[in-house]
Amino acid sequence: MITVALIGNPNVGKTELFNRLTGLKQHVGNWPGVTVEKKTGKCTYKGEELEIVDLPGTYSLTTHAIDELIARDYIVKENPDVVVDIVDGTNLERNLYLTLLLLELEANVLVALNQWDIVKERGIDIEVDKLSELLGVPIVTTVAPTGEGIEKLKEVVVKAAKGKEKRRKVVLGYGDDIEALIKKVENEIGKDTSLSSKYPLRWLAIKVLEKDDEVLKMIEDSPYRDKIMEMVR
Amino acid sequence: MEHGKDLKAVMPLTALSVGDEGEIVEMRGGRGMLRRLSDMGFTPSARVKVLASCPPGPMLIGVRDARIALGRGVAMRIMVRERR
Repeated sequence: MITVALIGNPNVGKTELFNRLTGLKQHVGNWPGVTVEKKTGKCTYKGEELEIVDLPGTYSLTTHAIDELIARDYIVKENPDVVVDIVDGTNLERNLYLTLLLLELEANVLVALNQWDIVKERGIDIEVDKLSELLGVPIVTTVAPTGEGIEKLKEVVVKAAKGKEKRRKVVLGYGDDIEALIKKVENEIGKDTSLSSKYPLRWLAIKVLEKDDEVLKMIEDSPYRDKIMEMVR
Repeated sequence: MEHGKDLKAVMPLTALSVGDEGEIVEMRGGRGMLRRLSDMGFTPSARVKVLASCPPGPMLIGVRDARIALGRGVAMRIMVRERR
């Protein structure tokens, strides 16, 4: 069974794509402890069974909003095989921000460039291959209402889950000063294997520097806490 | 102030009327507030348009091709320069 998380900004056609993928094989429940709806569904592609989880629509992955925290926790802690980031092709600037956050999380990301019909209708020119190369992830163009691209999406999801899709690790640089600091914090956190074995090191370091509540809580229990916190004061 | 001349034209987003457009000059708030606003697309130099307003309630703002509803208190922290 391949687990697939769907994520995307609000109003990108995420739920419609979820319905397209899963048909009637859906289960609606709640995320543990909160009244935020959790939808899961199943589908198959050439004998492979896919379990699809619809994450809340978010612009970002901070800890300030419960829906964002749910989405982030699911990706960080449950480690789905593939994360499908649904991007509104008519609004790349806004949507790619979340994509970059997912890459920083080192998730196995795949982009579904949705609303492709409207992109063409409006005469927006997107070099999909170039974008895929720059982001280092596979991209599939989709039209959720008609189902265009859905089969291709399943195919690429299965390939990505098996590590057969080409991907390049893309690192978003923050400039020399901050990079130097990130490296220092990384080195210190890296000594704590209980953290570094579970989470991407660079992501932890960046979140410590951002003073992310949840990550600071994780650091709290680390034997290296004092040295780490000293660096970011 | 170095931008003394421009300062006159800078006002909170709440001072714009429905249909008015502006450009964000700065946002005032703590770390969490600034982070949240920029996550939603409110950043210095971004263009905004007031789509609806229900005083003293929330405002609907168009920013970066999305419509975002903001409480008036939050909108007051976004300083803009009106565009004509």
